[in-house]
Amino acid sequence: MPADFSGSWERNYVLDDEVNAVLREAFNRLSRTSPDQRNPAGPGIAMASSRDVSSLVALARLAELITRPDVLTISQTEHEISIERKDDYAMLCAFYAGVAKGIENGYGTEICGWDGAQLVSNLVLPDGLQVTHRFTVSADREQLRVVTTVSSSTSRIPFTLRRFYTKFDRPRSSFNCIETLSMKRVCSTGEILP
Amino acid sequence: MICCMANPWKFLLPQLLVFLAGIALADAREPAALNVSIAVFDPGVPAEQSLHRDLQVFPRIREIEAMFLPFVLRETLANTNTWGAVRVVPAPDVAAELLVSGTIVQSDGENLKLRIRAVDASGHIWLDRVFAGTVTDSYATRDDTYGSPGYWNLYEEIADNLRLARGLLDDKTLRNIGEISMLRYASQLAPSAFGDYLNAAADGTFTIHRLPAGNDPMLERIERIRGVEFVITDAVDARYQELHQEIASIYDLWREYRRKAVAYQMDDVQRVQSSRSDAPRGSYEAMKQLYDNYKSDRIIAQEQDRLAVAFNNELGPKVAAMEARVAELEGWVDEQYAEWHRLLEELFEVETGLSP
Repeated sequence: MPADFSGSWERNYVLDDEVNAVLREAFNRLSRTSPDQRNPAGPGIAMASSRDVSSLVALARLAELITRPDVLTISQTEHEISIERKDDYAMLCAFYAGVAKGIENGYGTEICGWDGAQLVSNLVLPDGLQVTHRFTVSADREQLRVVTTVSSSTSRIPFTLRRFYTKFDRPRSSFNCIETLSMKRVCSTGEILP
Repeated sequence: MICCMANPWKFLLPQLLVFLAGIALADAREPAALNVSIAVFDPGVPAEQSLHRDLQVFPRIREIEAMFLPFVLRETLANTNTWGAVRVVPAPDVAAELLVSGTIVQSDGENLKLRIRAVDASGHIWLDRVFAGTVTDSYATRDDTYGSPGYWNLYEEIADNLRLARGLLDDKTLRNIGEISMLRYASQLAPSAFGDYLNAAADGTFTIHRLPAGNDPMLERIERIRGVEFVITDAVDARYQELHQEIASIYDLWREYRRKAVAYQMDDVQRVQSSRSDAPRGSYEAMKQLYDNYKSDRIIAQEQDRLAVAFNNELGPKVAAMEARVAELEGWVDEQYAEWHRLLEELFEVETGLSP
């Protein structure tokens, strides 16, 4: 695989985009591309329709919700990358013979792939709603950047948020634990052979 | 090699005693009471790895089911008192009087579909179809030693079909099957002596071309060897029985979880349909619901993955130990078989003066 994302990552709030700032910038962009700009309310003032504004705010709120997890746990094998997020499903990127395998259920389709060394995951939902995550790891594998774009057929422009993560080592437990069906979680100070 | 096994006689002695005690009874077997060999099932895992997740197929668990489910069928058949010895064998034995093989088509805790094929030693197909069973309400209450009570009807249906197929054959045909079985075994072990006793047709069926003399010393040797091989086969069968006893409760737990997960998934579909939001398209509430619907379904699927790992964590060591024991016995049989084959071919040469 072109990059190794495995490990535990915690949010670096200092570097994160500030949602309101991004939203202001998006409003400006929306106004600049607004059809109403041809008839501005006054010199230098551009207006976006209230429908455009509410659609953009909705995208921003959804983007903020989706990018809320403060810890990512990524495991990576030859065939799969799994990105566990608190309070959300684990994103899964599976490759067979180098070809990405999408996940489809009755509610949406998730596909992922590589763009150079960037891992890109795209979730397509009904009503033209799409959520795209673009993962980039730094050369020293200490920093992770996740750029999340939410777009919808109801909004003229997408909304993009950047989240930054720093790698951390989970403290080693003195117990080795495995999940079992009959006894649930079984822990031992010795080695447990699955 | 037998010398290198931990203690092979610990496994073999009980079966040997049963075998010796049963010799006197062997001749008394009704011609209709054919011996049945049930081969470990084909797990039915698609070769295309990328399909496993879509089809909710967990390969390691299917492998365990492939060893576990034949034993339930074995018990069902044995309890009918219709058959001779009913054994679970690691691989199909073409010389078996009646060979039952199966493929797991579907197993999700709620539904079980097995393709069952039964072929007698003469190559005639008794049965080749899919049997389907669904967990019944009795699952929760019926206390059963052999587990999987929810599918009891499925196994009984297979047993009934086999019994009906056997009922269509007269005693002469059944006796004929027994003779062909022995001759096919003999021709594998000593092809020089028994290679031309059977006619093999292009459609895979066999007919008797001629029969050896009743007191043919070579045939007597082969019958004794087959008896020893049955002892080993019974020892292997006993390993499957042990495995069944060890894992039955955990397997039922797994099935119960799977059943609940499938039911939960169906409930979730209804929840989504009934809670369809009136929020306007493009609103935050409408978009969040679309995202949550997808998320909920994925979380259920992930929970099933987690349960599969837990199942394997718990049973993996037991199954691996059983597989190792069976492999030891099988290895010993393979080595002995090669040795018997060589000795018989040499004896044939000595007794007839013909080169094998």
